[in-house]
Amino acid sequence: MKLVAIVGTNADFSYNRKLLEYMKWHFRTAAEIEVLEVKQLPPFNEDLPYSEQTEVWRFNNKVNTADGVIIATPEYDHSIPAALKSGLEWLSYKHKTMKEKPVMIVGVSYGTQGTSRAQQQLRQMLLSPDLNSDVLPGSEVLIGNAAKTFDKNGFVTDINIVHNLEDSFAAFNKFVKSNMRYLEEGDVNMAQPNISSEAKVQFRTGSLKIKEIQQIFNTLPFEIDFIDATDHFSFYSDKPDREHVRYPNEIGETVEECHPPKALPGVRAILDSFKLGTQDHVERCLPLNGHKVWINYFAVRDENGRYLGTMEFTGNVGHLVNLVKDGKFDGFPDATSGASKHDDDAEATGPAAADTEADATTGASEHDEEKEDKTE
Amino acid sequence: MKIEAIVGSNKKLSYNRKLLQFMKDHFADDEININEVKDFPMFNENYPEGEEAHDPELITELAKRIEAADAVIIGCPEYNHSVPSALKSAIEWLSYRIHPLHGKPVMIVGASIHPQGSSRSQTHLREILDSPGVFAEVFPGNEFFLGTAKKAFTDDGELINQGTVGFLEQCFTGFKKYAEEINDFKKVK
Ligand SMILES: Cc1cc2nc3c(=O)[nH]c(=O)nc-3n(C[C@H](O)[C@H](O)[C@H](O)COP(=O)(O)O)c2cc1C
Ligand SMILES: Cc1cc2nc3c(=O)[nH]c(=O)nc-3n(C[C@H](O)[C@H](O)[C@H](O)COP(=O)(O)O)c2cc1C
Repeated sequence: MKLVAIVGTNADFSYNRKLLEYMKWHFRTAAEIEVLEVKQLPPFNEDLPYSEQTEVWRFNNKVNTADGVIIATPEYDHSIPAALKSGLEWLSYKHKTMKEKPVMIVGVSYGTQGTSRAQQQLRQMLLSPDLNSDVLPGSEVLIGNAAKTFDKNGFVTDINIVHNLEDSFAAFNKFVKSNMRYLEEGDVNMAQPNISSEAKVQFRTGSLKIKEIQQIFNTLPFEIDFIDATDHFSFYSDKPDREHVRYPNEIGETVEECHPPKALPGVRAILDSFKLGTQDHVERCLPLNGHKVWINYFAVRDENGRYLGTMEFTGNVGHLVNLVKDGKFDGFPDATSGASKHDDDAEATGPAAADTEADATTGASEHDEEKEDKTE
Repeated sequence: MKIEAIVGSNKKLSYNRKLLQFMKDHFADDEININEVKDFPMFNENYPEGEEAHDPELITELAKRIEAADAVIIGCPEYNHSVPSALKSAIEWLSYRIHPLHGKPVMIVGASIHPQGSSRSQTHLREILDSPGVFAEVFPGNEFFLGTAKKAFTDDGELINQGTVGFLEQCFTGFKKYAEEINDFKKVK
């Protein structure tokens, strides 16, 4: 575990610096702690030219690569010193370095309050949207009477303070580890590259984030399964209340593995016809758990007609059937005159039908019936 | 009344500076002098490096003006829900070797580009001004927050919203009365 510890003052002599040096030594087996100074940073100023921000850049880098941050703050006028505030402003400005960074606050004061008011304000600052840090809750290290706290070698002399530091550091250690994602995913060196959910996929007609694609699939009122070109079950949409309940550990199964033997010949026939290109669509109507389930298989192809896989498109159409029964579509223009109809037909015509242009304008319903027959 | 106003921002384009400039022009019967924190060095106990530590000249000059004034107005921006370091640093200088704000009537105003208008920062500033090293007499209540500051001013620096101007006048009138009472009380003491 790699931590940085920020000395919250620019003073040459500082008890808070002493405290961090002590912690660095005392907790050396648990963590590698690098003590950082705010002293060398330029005072925060939005107008400072970027070319003069080398130290800021270095400071941001150090904090950014650390697993957690310890801040030792003095108390100046019931708040944190301006020098520390300035450092935090740099960390929040443009870079958002502190975002979700685990932070432990400690403080030493000359008087008895042990920086209690400064720590309170510091917590509020760290929780503001531009800093947005994960501040360790509960544990408090408030050390008063600074002049009596350290011996000449820098060791803390009061056993109660030592115990307070140890308890708080143990809590922080746990807190940081729960934030270190790579520990959950395995060893750093074994980490796999991945695409974040924020990444976008660019289509001809626009773009979608990975997360959006997932949620669109899950929100569709029909469930979608996909069998890839090598006949492996490779995806199903995570729609709630699916008609066909699937499980993640079925992913990767072959068509044989995921169908009962009785159903296999039918499935095979469909897939073979899709691969050959003799048809692109098969539908079935099935009663399932009291639902009117409409099942569709579509051949999915690339721009050259090459078979990419089969999409199963399934849903309960009871509601649609009721709408029809209730006459909600009565008096609508007949489908035979619709432009969309023409498209349906054009898609459905085979090579043999290419010279029968007139036929292309015949009813889609006819065509659908024909298909239904085929699938029965 | 003689008032020293402090711009709590070190930025070239500052809405808090615009606000104080508006107050200076609008309350022309009173003498409001605008002070900047942007040229002050960062507070450091050991300033200046390599010499025997002492207060910067710019700070001792400001302290003299504050001591001679009847009251102080601070224009306070909000950075990370608190007081910007540039302003905090100035207050540290004014609470370390010298304490010119001790017993001085102080009014806080603030502008922010977000709707809250520096409300959280002003609360922190009150706590800071109330600490023993500063010991200012902060005008209670009368919270003046100028939110969405980018849209608040005309090109000539006038506040657009007349309701806002009215409230600022009310706060300022109240503050002058408060400052007089505090200053009279100090004379009696
Ligand atoms: C400008 C200034 C303001 C201070 N205000 C407070 C304060 O509000 N409360 C407090 O307990 N100590 C205050 N102190 C005293 C500090 O606690 C003391 O200087 C302490 O040693 C600072 O920590 P350090 O040794 O890490 O620099 C103040 C010191 C300075 C220089
Ligand atoms: C580092 C930084 C942090 C900021 N944090 C806040 C904040 O917490 N709340 C807020 O209302 N505005 C915040 N702002 C925006 C300020 O309100 C804005 O910069 C405003 O113009 C500052 O006042 P000024 O114009 O007088 O300099 C922040 C700006 C910076 C540079």
